[in-house]
Amino acid sequence: MSTQTQQRRRRRGIRGFIHRLRHSRFLSNLAANRLAMIGLLIITLMVVIALYARIFIGGVGPIEGYYGEIMGSNLSGNADMAKAPPSPKYPFGLDGQARSIFPRVLFGSWLALKWGTVTVAVSTVLGVSFGVIAAYYSDLVDNVVMRTMDVLLAFPSLLLALALVSILGSGLQNAVVALILVYTPRFARVVRGAALAVLEDEYIDATIAIGAKDFRVLARHVVPNCLAPVTVQSTLNFGLAIIDLAALSFLGFGAKEGAPSWGMMLSAGVENGLHSAWWWPFFPGLALALTVLGFNLLGDGMRDALDPRMRDAID
Amino acid sequence: MASKWFVIKRLLLLIPVLIGISTVVFAILHLGGNDPAAVMAGQGASQEQIETIRSELGFDDPIWVQYTRFLSDVSQFDFGESYVLKPGQPVWGSILADKLPVTIELAIYGQLFGVMLGVPLGVLSAIKQNSLTDHITRIGALAGISVPIFWSGPLLIILFANILGVLPASSRIDTQYFIEGPWAFFGHELPLTGLMTIDTLLLGNIDAFVSAVEHLLLPAAVMGIYSMALISRMMRSSMLEVVRQDYIRTARAKGQGQKITMLKHGLKNAFIPVITVIGIQFGTMLGGAVLTETVFGISGLGVILVNAIQAGDYPVVQAAVLVFAMLFTLVNLTVDITYSYLDPRIQQ
Amino acid sequence: MDVDGNHSRRSFLKATGGTIAAVSLAGCSGSTDESGGTDGGSSGEASGTINYARGAATKSLDLHKIDDGESVKVTNQIYDKLVQFVPGKNEIEAGLATEWETEGKTITLTLREDVTFHNGEDLTASDFVATYKRFTDPEYEYYIGEEDATSYAGNTFGEVESVEATDETTVTITTKKKFAPMLRNLAVFAAGVMSEKEIETGEQFDSTAVGTGPFTLDAWQNEGEKIRLKANPDYWGETPKSEFVIFLAVGENSTRVSKLTSEDIHIIDGIDAEGADRIDKADGVELVQKTGLVTGYMAMNLEKREEFRNTKVRQALNYAVDTKAIVDSIFRGFASQSSQAVPPAVPGHNEDLDPYPYDQQQATSLLEEAGFGDGFDFTLTTFTNPRPYIPSPSQAAQKVRTDLKEVGINVTIEKKSWNDFLNYTIAGKHDACFLGWNADNGDPDNFLRPLLHPGIESPDGQDWASFSAEGYNVYNASGWANQEFMQKVEEAQTIIDDDDARMKLYNEANQISHDEAPWVFLDHADELRGVKDAVSGFKIAPVGGPFLDLVSVE
Repeated sequence: MSTQTQQRRRRRGIRGFIHRLRHSRFLSNLAANRLAMIGLLIITLMVVIALYARIFIGGVGPIEGYYGEIMGSNLSGNADMAKAPPSPKYPFGLDGQARSIFPRVLFGSWLALKWGTVTVAVSTVLGVSFGVIAAYYSDLVDNVVMRTMDVLLAFPSLLLALALVSILGSGLQNAVVALILVYTPRFARVVRGAALAVLEDEYIDATIAIGAKDFRVLARHVVPNCLAPVTVQSTLNFGLAIIDLAALSFLGFGAKEGAPSWGMMLSAGVENGLHSAWWWPFFPGLALALTVLGFNLLGDGMRDALDPRMRDAID
Repeated sequence: MASKWFVIKRLLLLIPVLIGISTVVFAILHLGGNDPAAVMAGQGASQEQIETIRSELGFDDPIWVQYTRFLSDVSQFDFGESYVLKPGQPVWGSILADKLPVTIELAIYGQLFGVMLGVPLGVLSAIKQNSLTDHITRIGALAGISVPIFWSGPLLIILFANILGVLPASSRIDTQYFIEGPWAFFGHELPLTGLMTIDTLLLGNIDAFVSAVEHLLLPAAVMGIYSMALISRMMRSSMLEVVRQDYIRTARAKGQGQKITMLKHGLKNAFIPVITVIGIQFGTMLGGAVLTETVFGISGLGVILVNAIQAGDYPVVQAAVLVFAMLFTLVNLTVDITYSYLDPRIQQ
Repeated sequence: MDVDGNHSRRSFLKATGGTIAAVSLAGCSGSTDESGGTDGGSSGEASGTINYARGAATKSLDLHKIDDGESVKVTNQIYDKLVQFVPGKNEIEAGLATEWETEGKTITLTLREDVTFHNGEDLTASDFVATYKRFTDPEYEYYIGEEDATSYAGNTFGEVESVEATDETTVTITTKKKFAPMLRNLAVFAAGVMSEKEIETGEQFDSTAVGTGPFTLDAWQNEGEKIRLKANPDYWGETPKSEFVIFLAVGENSTRVSKLTSEDIHIIDGIDAEGADRIDKADGVELVQKTGLVTGYMAMNLEKREEFRNTKVRQALNYAVDTKAIVDSIFRGFASQSSQAVPPAVPGHNEDLDPYPYDQQQATSLLEEAGFGDGFDFTLTTFTNPRPYIPSPSQAAQKVRTDLKEVGINVTIEKKSWNDFLNYTIAGKHDACFLGWNADNGDPDNFLRPLLHPGIESPDGQDWASFSAEGYNVYNASGWANQEFMQKVEEAQTIIDDDDARMKLYNEANQISHDEAPWVFLDHADELRGVKDAVSGFKIAPVGGPFLDLVSVE
């Protein structure tokens, strides 16, 4: 670790960053992992689909979307038509309100990735802050922060999310806030472990000895060295966050009625389509499972590529 | 003895966690958007009625008084009275006591499913490292943790209940069976466990037992997929780890065949970390129970929790969340202690 | 009453007590000379078991503590009323009383003599008096308690001045004023007769029940999720055809349908459109359907939104929403379009009224005339779970949103769980909301009075009242308070001797509400049951059922 650190001190800024990326054992290990690359491919595909859906279905700038069509009801009178099975015209069939499921599933990927990103990003930032602070100040602060995290971790995650939703109320935004609270402790724990390892390094003591401010030490030296395990943890949790968000929608506490969220569509599918229209639950669920698989494949590969010392911290 | 101290230390560490859990649960009622007294008073109640109820229930006491009272009530399994689902009836006696065994039974069989399939798959994968079997098992495991219960459940129902028609899609037992009457062995009406598969046997009703098992298969499988996936991964890697150890090499040097060596020496040691996995994923299992119960129409703790949240029945929400958290904590405690006996290194 | 009843409406009704109580009673004044009915316990061996699945557990078997349909379905098998609904019809016939006579403010009923309770006690007039007191009289030693008594105490007996046992077999009921719906109220489940001895000695009535009905309680499990009833061999009427009835709670609608089509359940209720379609297409099961005594609507809140105070706007909305598509596609034809609050099967329904046609142009021009040519925005509040009057609330709401967008009105949909929903709407916080009503006693008064009468005088010169006004009938979700309408409804309530005159008033009242359109009239849903082919003798009863004593299973 200390040789790496010297290298880091030699090269700063973007160029240094790129240099480090190029010479990262982590990345070359990762690239050699075929499953991880498949995961990356799936994720890339989903991101492309999500952006496509956002732009061409949701409508951006001069491009007219047709979001209203996939949101609203298109019923006219023929009840059987309203739930037509998959056909060339409607690849995933119709959903009982005469809405094509295909564009709804596409748009669902935008919702899933957008809110998944928000959930994971915010809980990562919070988790890193708590974890680093706990590790750096140790003793009282450490105990207070980590015991709080322990309490949150003592709840089964979906159950804690449900408890929080019962406080905050239903709705996608509230569900996201609840999940952020559920996920933050996981990051905090990993980061604390990683940060403690970094803090053992002598050069940190040296930095402090020459009078660097706490914030500077944390921001420039501790945090960057924790990034690898955090990235892995984020990737692994991304899939879980998407599932949990969908689960909250599925149980009726997330997305609004009619919104093309996968969880919502699954809920409608299970409620009504289980026995008469298999395509209602099938396609949204498939998209969801595939996306999550992508993140799990990539995250798994990343964990394997990680420095073994850091690997232990991640569950 | 070292392990005794470990157990004591572990139990002491439990105290702050328990206090924390109860604080969070306490907060559900008080941070929730609704005024509990107003909810209890019912729709359209006058302000005086609300105030009366508020002081009757002690909601106007200082918060710490309420909190202490809450702690002492809860420690006696008194979760108060339901607001909405069964107005005025005790939350524990009338609502949750019956539901807890339902969820526990699901979790037990789900876990069983996970272990019974996950362990052999993990071993197989390790023995045939880097073979096609290994790859398929590993991808399968990753797929297993990627598939949400509220998708795999419906798919299994569509396949086994709708298309093949071999398994029931909902509830716990055929309608005709009532769990009642004297025990088969003692001839008296003795208390029952609430676990269908046990009670039917206690009552000596084999047909009912078969029916109960049939009803459990799909939900247990759905719940077990996740733990199967995790356990097979853990089993594989810990098998491989163990194999690298010296004594295995020695055994092999003595001329035992590779596979026999791995099974004989590796299995026992490799199994130890798997126990922790069971603890770690038990929380996911409980979360899964909520979804599984919803999909399969089983009225357990999870369904009650969801209903209670929807209805704004806060005492029920509190109690259900607390029970779930306690279950999770208990299982983890048991796992940690078991682990400490199996692998004394952990104690340091 | 709430037939599908997963939710307690107790407290709500408690609050509105007097108002709603004043509601109902109606009319078959001609039934005075009707007597007899199905007499005499003809023998016939009861055999077989009926498995009946419904949406939720029975909360309690205590007649005075329940107001949800799931509980009532069971108590209706165990308890009898003095008079009862003819199975499958909105008519009254003899129950425990064989004869009755209405004179001014009194009704005198003569009881059957050969009736025994499940505990072996003979039925006498004092049993009914004790039951009445337990429900309504705080002075009575065995009074149920104000906390526990449901709004049905007021609904059913609110207009009652006194109940007396003139002799062993004669009950005299005196009302505070002439009250046409009184007799029908006696047929409501809450007027079921309990045993006086049991009232005095029984410990709890939640999971035990002693009545005179065709079935006795045999087993109560999982807090009312699973209940077994056994045929009562000493029943005064015809012995039930089946020996056992098992009631099972199956929460999910689609699961319940599967239990019928591919498992061991014989009869289910609480069927949504999707389920009806499945039952229709499945083998070995039949979809039984009958026009229900229900009405579903979208109430526009005149107090909250100034736009809705303009009659033209309200009419425009009626033209703009394609209710035909809603009943045909969303409710899949298991409902009919509505033109008024009173459903077709209830007397007083105005046959001359047609539903508003779907006419966007008309809607647009009405909006322009009203000065809202550019449209406006409002929030439509709806409940989450299907209810009998609006079987698919969220889909219907989405359809309303789509339709109104066409005429420039932007609707935001807000979903709430039933309890939250009730809290919200009775406080008048909604711009507009979905709502509906099931008949309690099959009388037109039971629709017009609770749903469209404000319960108070309307302020001068305006046809709406404030939800927060003292005594406001909060079930009037539109705040509508039309003088002419109110006067007709009030007058009709007191006519006990001239059915034609009474019905004429209801016809006129319906005409007024149709024209003034405080609601978007949505639908009258059908009652739907799924029944296995092996079942015979089952009739859908929109009120007073199910009559499972008539049902047998091969």
